[in-house]
Amino acid sequence: MSRDLVTIKGGKDGFRLLVDSSASMEEIEAEIKKKLDANPGFFPEGTKFELEVADLDRSVKKGIGQILSQHGLGVELSARKEAPAKPKEQPQPVSQAAIQHDGNVEAQEMTVVDHTIRGGEEVTSQGSVLIMGNVNPGAQIIAGGSIDIRGTCRGMVHAGAWGDTSAVVIADRLMPTQIRIANMIARSPDIMEKNNFAERASIKDGQIIIEPIER
Amino acid sequence: MSEVIVVTSGKGGVGKSTTTANLGVGLAMRGKKVVLIDTDTGLRNLDLLLGLENRIMYDLVDVIDGRVEIKKALVRHKKYENLQLLPTSQVKDKSAVNPADLMALCDELRKEYDYVIIDCPAGIEQGFQTAIAGADTAIVVTMPEVSAVRDADKIIGELGRSEKDNIKLIINRIRPAMVDSGEMMDMDDINDILAIKCIGQVPDDIKVVTSANRGEPVVGDSDSQAGKAYENIVGRLLGEDIPFMEFEKEGFFKRLKKAFKF
Repeated sequence: MSRDLVTIKGGKDGFRLLVDSSASMEEIEAEIKKKLDANPGFFPEGTKFELEVADLDRSVKKGIGQILSQHGLGVELSARKEAPAKPKEQPQPVSQAAIQHDGNVEAQEMTVVDHTIRGGEEVTSQGSVLIMGNVNPGAQIIAGGSIDIRGTCRGMVHAGAWGDTSAVVIADRLMPTQIRIANMIARSPDIMEKNNFAERASIKDGQIIIEPIER
Repeated sequence: MSEVIVVTSGKGGVGKSTTTANLGVGLAMRGKKVVLIDTDTGLRNLDLLLGLENRIMYDLVDVIDGRVEIKKALVRHKKYENLQLLPTSQVKDKSAVNPADLMALCDELRKEYDYVIIDCPAGIEQGFQTAIAGADTAIVVTMPEVSAVRDADKIIGELGRSEKDNIKLIINRIRPAMVDSGEMMDMDDINDILAIKCIGQVPDDIKVVTSANRGEPVVGDSDSQAGKAYENIVGRLLGEDIPFMEFEKEGFFKRLKKAFKF
C-alpha cells in the first residue's frame, strides 16, 4: 500500500491525524474530505483529532482545523515528540491507557470494514477491528485489540489474539459460533437464542462472560 | 438492452438448471429472445430439462474451439421459437472453456438476444469462474437448509470479489409446512444472513420432477405452485412489482378433498 498523505489512526485515547508535511494544502484538504466522506457519520460530531505533524506550516494547520470544523469535528494540536519548534504549549496529558499498558502508548491502526463479512472470508488486524455489517457463519475476525460489530455476529471472533486479555467483543446481536479472547475460548450454546440487544464479551475472573450493553 | 444473467449456487442440487430452464421458457413465453448456455461441461443436463437432447449437433466446446459458428450450435426449442439452447459437451471437462472465451461469446450473443442466461456448475473452482465472467447479473439459488445457505453466502462473497455487484436471490424448494412448524429455516432468517435482494420464493413441488422428466419446464403450468412462482420471478426480472405469494398448505381438509377428488 502506498503511503497516504493523510492517515487517521484510532488509539485508546481518541483519533490521531497524521499529515505528510511535504503535501500541499490542496492535496491535504482533498484527502481529508475523501476520508471523512467515505464513512459519513462514522466520527460522531465533536470528535477531536490530535494533529501529529513534524513541521507543518501554521496556515496549513489552520486550514486543517477549518476543514474538520466544517464536518463538525475538532482538532487538537499534538504536544508530542515531533513538535520541537514549539516547546510545551500544552501540558503533556498523562493518559489512563499509558499507565495500564506499561507505558506502551503506541496507538495501533484500527481496521474499519464497511460491508458484511461472508462465509470463508477472514479479517486480520494487529489493532482493533470495526465491522459495519454482519459477520456471517464461516467468517473469521482476528484482532490484536477489540472487535466491534455493528450488525449480527454469527462467525468466529478472536479479540486480543496476541494476548491482550482486556480486549472485548461487542456486537448488536452477538451469536457467534465461537468467541476467543486472548487464550480463552467460549463456544456458543448448541441451541442459540436470538436477542435483540447489543452484548459485550470480555474476560472477567478468568472466564469469558457476556453481558448486555446499551448503545 | 440485453442482459447476461448467470444462475449459480455453490452447492449442487438446489435447482440451478431447473431455474435456468424455467426462467428461459418463462421469458420466451413473454416474447423475449432468449439463449441459454449450459456451462456445466462434462455433466450437461440443461438439454434434458428442456427435452432437447436428441437435437444436439454441436456444443459449446465446438464453438469455443472455432469448429462451428455459434448459430449452428444453437438448438431451437420445440415450442418457443425465440428460445435457443447452447448445450455443452458431455465428454470434455471444465478446462475446455476459459473465462475470456465465454466473455467473448456472451458479447457476441448479446447483440442478438434480449437475455443470455448461463447455467453455472456447482462449486467455486474454474467452472464457476468461467461461468460468471461475462455476466451482468447473478442469480444465486439457495434452499432453506443450513449448508445451502452457507454455500450461497460464500458464493456471494466470491461474486463480490469478481466485481459482480448485481446479485439477486431465489429461495427454492421451500416446504411451507416445515417452515411453519419451525423445522425449516424461514425466509426472514435466510434474508437476514444473505442480505441481498430476493426475487423469488419457490415451493418444493413434485410437478418440478415430473415435468423435468418430460422435458417441459413447469413455468407454464398454472396448476403448479412452483410454476406460478417461476412466472412471478420472470415478471420481477422484467421489472414488474409482484408481491410474494402465500403458499397453499396441505392441510387436513385439502388432503381429504384430494382423496375424494372434489
